[in-house]
Amino acid sequence: DSHIQYERVGADVTMKCGSMDWDAAVTWTANGTDIDESHLNGSYLILKNVDLTQSGQYSCYEGSSWHLKYQTYLRVGTPPKEPVLMCRSNNYPKGFYCSWHLPTPTYIPNSFNISVIHGTKEMVCEKDVFPKNRCHIRYLQLFSTVKYKVTLTVTNALGKTSTTLTFDEFAIVKPDPPESVVAKPVPNNPRRLEVSWQNPSSWPDPESFPLKFFLRYRPLILDQWQHVELSDGTSHTITDAYAGKEYIIQVAAKDNDIGTWSDWSVAVHATPWTEEPKHLTTEAQVTETTSASTSSFMPPPTTKICDKGAVVGSGAVAVCWTAGLVLAAYGALFI
Amino acid sequence: MAAADSPSATLQRRDLCSRGIRLAGKMRSDVIDLLDTYVERQGLDASASVAAVEGVPVAAAERWDEQTGTQRLLENLAAYRAFRALLAQMLEEQREQLGEADAVLGQALAAVLLQVSAFAYHLEELLRLESRGTPSEEGAGPPPPPHLGLFERKLRGLGVLRELAQWAVRSARDLRQLAKPSPASSLAPSPAESP
Repeated sequence: DSHIQYERVGADVTMKCGSMDWDAAVTWTANGTDIDESHLNGSYLILKNVDLTQSGQYSCYEGSSWHLKYQTYLRVGTPPKEPVLMCRSNNYPKGFYCSWHLPTPTYIPNSFNISVIHGTKEMVCEKDVFPKNRCHIRYLQLFSTVKYKVTLTVTNALGKTSTTLTFDEFAIVKPDPPESVVAKPVPNNPRRLEVSWQNPSSWPDPESFPLKFFLRYRPLILDQWQHVELSDGTSHTITDAYAGKEYIIQVAAKDNDIGTWSDWSVAVHATPWTEEPKHLTTEAQVTETTSASTSSFMPPPTTKICDKGAVVGSGAVAVCWTAGLVLAAYGALFI
Repeated sequence: MAAADSPSATLQRRDLCSRGIRLAGKMRSDVIDLLDTYVERQGLDASASVAAVEGVPVAAAERWDEQTGTQRLLENLAAYRAFRALLAQMLEEQREQLGEADAVLGQALAAVLLQVSAFAYHLEELLRLESRGTPSEEGAGPPPPPHLGLFERKLRGLGVLRELAQWAVRSARDLRQLAKPSPASSLAPSPAESP
């Protein structure tokens, strides 16, 4: 006769050997290892102030016959603490999703129940297969002033807790960051960098629900960002870059009318075009493979030192070491 | 429908839509500022829940994406005409209640009222462009104001402004749908055109 028993960390646990009398001779094992008699009170097993390491299979055998009389799986854990819940619409106006997690683990299985109420209407939040602690919901109405109320209840064998979030339709709109950000130098323009990007693919209808963008950039050597807000278009030319300096650039997106800014996109790096320094002979230090042979003329940053002469970041950040040491020195002449 | 389909009509429509979108954006921004002023001057709690107010056009729409262009224009026009009357009432009440003492709120209300009127006119232009007569304004005017106590009137005003702010966002979206060159933006379903 085997079952699972849940107990709180720190509790005192008493296990009976099934229907055996108190004064019966028994042997208890924990995960196959005999338990010392000092833990027994008659045939009862006493575990005081249990901790997580005491989780396991406990078995009780009749003294002489070694018949298995009782078996249980002890799971030591905690009741759930108030969960952290967040809801967001990154695919407006289709719908929104809510995701949650527990601030501390319980070490035992938990079940989650989520309810979404809009005014008097109860809506169904469909649980995602992956990740597990997430569900999504389709908007049945748009432009409503009625708030949404989302309640998450977490239950396990040792307790129950819940949390509620109340919000407006517009307040939770936050797009994903822009994708495929590309920054390129502009030939013959030592102070320009051309930046382009794409709408996040999760945003379903950028034509009807256009996004606006926020670009930030700075040379690596400085801490202060420059900012540009762009109300349309998915490209921008920086015209005040410091010649020869490597820049870090990021873009964020926001619905034109509602909601909040996305997180920043993956950062891309680029260095403005510089003229070939004819009087310098050098060897470039590169981390990317290069097909350029060393010569007395260092190629401008558009060449193959980095893939395609441009730095693309949409899943990885590629840091390019151009003939940077030389160019930086050369560029410093213009600062 | 021939007139509506001509290139110049399409351009005119797109131009009217762009201007309308800008008007709606400015209006929304001003309504949000007005909401802050209103809440402050009327001594209200900004997060107060207001039940659906009778006579206030509700911006919430089901199946919004399936609406035809004509439906969009007509619903918008009906809404802004109603807001025009409601804001005029609010202005009147505010003057009675506070006299000329609160010029700031009065001016802000009047400015938004002007924009609402202008937007309603703009919508009428769009409907005229599509050779659609603009519906006559029903009745002799707004419904008589309900007999509400001062506090109820203040809450009602809050409800009106909140709903207007939603409408301003919706209108910009509606006009963007209208401005789309696809058949979906055509102002009447045309079975002959459908694939």
